[in-house]
Amino acid sequence: MATLSLALRSLWNRRVTALLTVAAIAISVALLLGVQKMRVAAKDSFASTVSGVDLIVGARSGPINLLLYSVFRVGDATANVSWETYQKIARHPDVAWTIPLSLGDSHRGYRVLGTNADYFRHYRYAGKRELTFAAGKPFADLYDAVLGADVARQLGYRLGQQIVIAHGLGAVSFARHDDKPFRIVGILSRTGTPVDRTVHVSLEAITAIHIDWQSGVQALPGQRVSAEEARARDLTPDSITAFMVGMRSKVTTFTMQRAINEYRLEPLLAIIPGVALTQLWELVGVADTALMVVAAFVVLAGLLGMLTAILTSLNERRREMAILRSVGARARHVFSLLVVEAGLLATAGVGLGIVLTYGLMAAVRPLLADRYGIFVQLAGLNVYDLGILGAIIGAALLMGLLPAWRAYRNTLADGLTIRI
Amino acid sequence: MTNGQAAIALEAMRFAWPGKPLLLDIERLVVARGERLFLRGPSGSGKSTLLGLLGGVLTPAAGEIRVLDTKLPNLGASARDRFRGDHVGFVFQMFNLIPYLSVLDNVLLPARFSRRRAERAARHGAPAAEAARLLAALGLGEAALLARNVTELSIGQQQRVAAARALLGAPELLIADEPTSSLDHDARRQFLELLMAECREQGSTLVFVSHDTTLGPLFDRDLSLAELNRAAPAGRAAARAA
Repeated sequence: MATLSLALRSLWNRRVTALLTVAAIAISVALLLGVQKMRVAAKDSFASTVSGVDLIVGARSGPINLLLYSVFRVGDATANVSWETYQKIARHPDVAWTIPLSLGDSHRGYRVLGTNADYFRHYRYAGKRELTFAAGKPFADLYDAVLGADVARQLGYRLGQQIVIAHGLGAVSFARHDDKPFRIVGILSRTGTPVDRTVHVSLEAITAIHIDWQSGVQALPGQRVSAEEARARDLTPDSITAFMVGMRSKVTTFTMQRAINEYRLEPLLAIIPGVALTQLWELVGVADTALMVVAAFVVLAGLLGMLTAILTSLNERRREMAILRSVGARARHVFSLLVVEAGLLATAGVGLGIVLTYGLMAAVRPLLADRYGIFVQLAGLNVYDLGILGAIIGAALLMGLLPAWRAYRNTLADGLTIRI
Repeated sequence: MTNGQAAIALEAMRFAWPGKPLLLDIERLVVARGERLFLRGPSGSGKSTLLGLLGGVLTPAAGEIRVLDTKLPNLGASARDRFRGDHVGFVFQMFNLIPYLSVLDNVLLPARFSRRRAERAARHGAPAAEAARLLAALGLGEAALLARNVTELSIGQQQRVAAARALLGAPELLIADEPTSSLDHDARRQFLELLMAECREQGSTLVFVSHDTTLGPLFDRDLSLAELNRAAPAGRAAARAA
């Protein structure tokens, strides 16, 4: 204890250097901890994009590709699933519900999703959260649209406004379905998932706006079908892009998956979202591992700064050590004084780093949730975090051995003679 | 005088720094308990080295050093450190104090490292009270002074704080290495008188080293290190004459 209080007072005497050292360690610790927290938050957010769905079914391609276009609205389907096949699977006794997904059009860069009322009933994200309406209600009329939270906010849309859907996926499109405008009847609450960036319409609406189109071009003016005329037609689609399946019993999921994958009449692919999400995360996760490595090196730089500060202080403190020796301090006291000093600096740095991390997280949390849909939990430190922080302090103590050893040798060489 | 009463006994003690010629070669030096010895010598004559040997920081190349009947060369490094902390107080020429500790904490330093000194300092109450008593005895009686930063003190005050620290817990041996050389004449005299009075009070043996020969008469015994040391030119002459 003699050395602890001495080390504290000695550090306080050199408080400017000590505080700068602590600040450097704190910033590096905050970076590391921040990256770690963000990594967990991003992964959670990623994993919670879709839940409660047992299978996603699309035309045969790769699992990640299917996941990307059906859930993340990224990329395109190479082929569609026929309506007959969809109906056949949807009516299977083991299947509780299905959500059809029809993609391919967009509105000012946001994807348009054709689906049905089951989407609002069965879609789940982040555990068991349901989609809720910030305003309005699900689509009822053929030309009704429901907007995701981002779409409404970014484009400043309100209920009752009319919007026109563009053909294809470009942000600026020349082929527009402007003869069949949609009315906004609902705006969803924020989910932090790609749902926020989606315009939802009914499957029938997708058929209706394409009724007089062929090979990506609308028919000549004389042969067009007006919005009102379209209502009278049979709007059952020929095909859909993909669909989500909820099973009556989880046990049958694998059997159903295999049955779909081996379906002979049409090349299909069924994926389990959780498995595909994990595969996709492994791909994306390389980037965050790289970030973690960078952060670890920043911590190392912070600790090396501390080592430099202690080593440079040694020469001017030879007198201090000699005085301590003259009043009975043993060489090991001098040794432990410096190790304790390194430990104190690192502990203070880690402590301040934790405060900094939580302060920053509290500050940017609303922004992250708002802009990127990443929900950062202000939960306490978990065992892994504590392990990292413990390792930092441990590394600092190890580094402290170097100045301690040098001071030890100095003090043996100097004895009681005090050199100025 | 028997060995049992000697505070210090050197016997055929020789010391040289590594790679240097023989610096100290002392045939015999005995200091009685309670004696106040003045050891004079010019700088570079090996005074500080001798004090390092007496304090157990250095070990001799040959010969015997007994302090308080303990053979220092026989002890391990850690045991010598502990012995020094328990039984020896030091006052140096200047910069004796730890700059980041208050006056009181500087005086209490020996009690931090030596339980024996802490216990002895607590005989009449708390160690802090003993520290205050010593400071008062050395003319630093103001209570406000205790909490002061040592860097705010004058040199003379600093030396008295150093003396109070060396005396805390009544060590049997007090070693002073040019403690007055940075003081002016009046302060020097006053400091010495206070130091000696307190040594007498506590029964401590005092070994006082200085190049200032005018101080010699104030002590029980006045010795020249140069004459004592057979490795020095004057010592060789003295040895031949004897």
